[in-house]
Amino acid sequence: MLSKRQFVLALAVTLAVVAAINVVLALLAQRTLPRRIMRRAAESPSAEVLAIGNSLMVAGFHESSFDSAAGVPPAHAAVNLGLGASTPVEQLLLFRYAIAHGMRPRLLIYGFYDFQLTDPVTMTNADLIGNRAILYYLEPEYARRFYSLTAHDAVEFEVMRFFPMFVERGAVWSKVEEFRRLLSQQGLPARRTNQFGRASDFSLLEASSSEEFTRHCDSARAAGLASPVEELLRQARAAEIPVAVIEMPMSPYHLRAFYSSPAWPAYVSHLRSLFAPYDVSFVDASNWVTDGSLFADNLHLSPAGGQEFSRELGDLVRKEFSLQTSAASTPQIPHSRESRP
Amino acid sequence: MKTIRWMQHLLEYLGGSQDEPPPGFPVSLSNAVFWGLWWGVLTVVILVFSGQSSKFIYIDF
Repeated sequence: MLSKRQFVLALAVTLAVVAAINVVLALLAQRTLPRRIMRRAAESPSAEVLAIGNSLMVAGFHESSFDSAAGVPPAHAAVNLGLGASTPVEQLLLFRYAIAHGMRPRLLIYGFYDFQLTDPVTMTNADLIGNRAILYYLEPEYARRFYSLTAHDAVEFEVMRFFPMFVERGAVWSKVEEFRRLLSQQGLPARRTNQFGRASDFSLLEASSSEEFTRHCDSARAAGLASPVEELLRQARAAEIPVAVIEMPMSPYHLRAFYSSPAWPAYVSHLRSLFAPYDVSFVDASNWVTDGSLFADNLHLSPAGGQEFSRELGDLVRKEFSLQTSAASTPQIPHSRESRP
Repeated sequence: MKTIRWMQHLLEYLGGSQDEPPPGFPVSLSNAVFWGLWWGVLTVVILVFSGQSSKFIYIDF
């Protein structure tokens, strides 16, 4: 039996092990994707074009293809700060981070699909995992203005954000999940995957039926822009940065199953009206890529599809947007000092 | 068979259901440093394997 003194000593050793694990995770976490993207933003102050969005932008916006088509010189190459699984809150934070680190883009390209720009952002603390862990360390208190947590989750959030073993739990669990999937695939035909995971999983991000999608269109036509989207457009306008909102290319399946409904163009028309107060150009690129083989799944372009889309987008930008105007005024976006890359 | 019984005794000792170590096992119950390290390892293993597999769609982080 351990005496009280021995028990306390054992507990102290346990805590030391846990502390050491936290230190190791904090060091390894510098290689996580959100932090790499933040470093990219900080190292690209001369970028003339900034692209933000979720994984559709990650997959679809090919920087060099865009730059060649748009005539952007290498010294001012476009930078893609798209972040997979991100919501408009994280996209706003990355925009602010880029501006706060000296980026003065002549154009902000913001890609979206379905109801991303109007659906309210709802989260639980359990959702802050993987790429969304950025909400623990990039302006966490500022970001909380744009999503709410229950009292229980708020307490969890405030405790967890100081411990790398909680903040980066997704990075650890994803490795275990990859191993589990590898084991579960033994003896079975290989499942189609893309850079983000199993291709079939992404059907979970679509409506379950055309009827549900139509109902969502109808209800979304009564909604305004989601608060982080509104704030992003407001800050871009204050910084005199023109914004091009891009309805991202969708697979033939998605176009047929959902966007062919008359409710969708009615929703898009409503969306365009919401952009009126802001310096926004709206680009409907949903049917730019008609070859289904250029999609990695129902939502994401393949690398070849991304290059094709980016070339077309670059052509459009070269014709419609002047990137050779006089230098933009210095953006005046207040930012907190809470970010910890 | 003896080896299996010994391993069983060891696992029960490490798991806390036996107070006496198996014959030849050098760590006694009073070795606080060992038990602290062991609990630390268990904590880390629990953390690593407590993720929910159904939650993941994206594995690009």
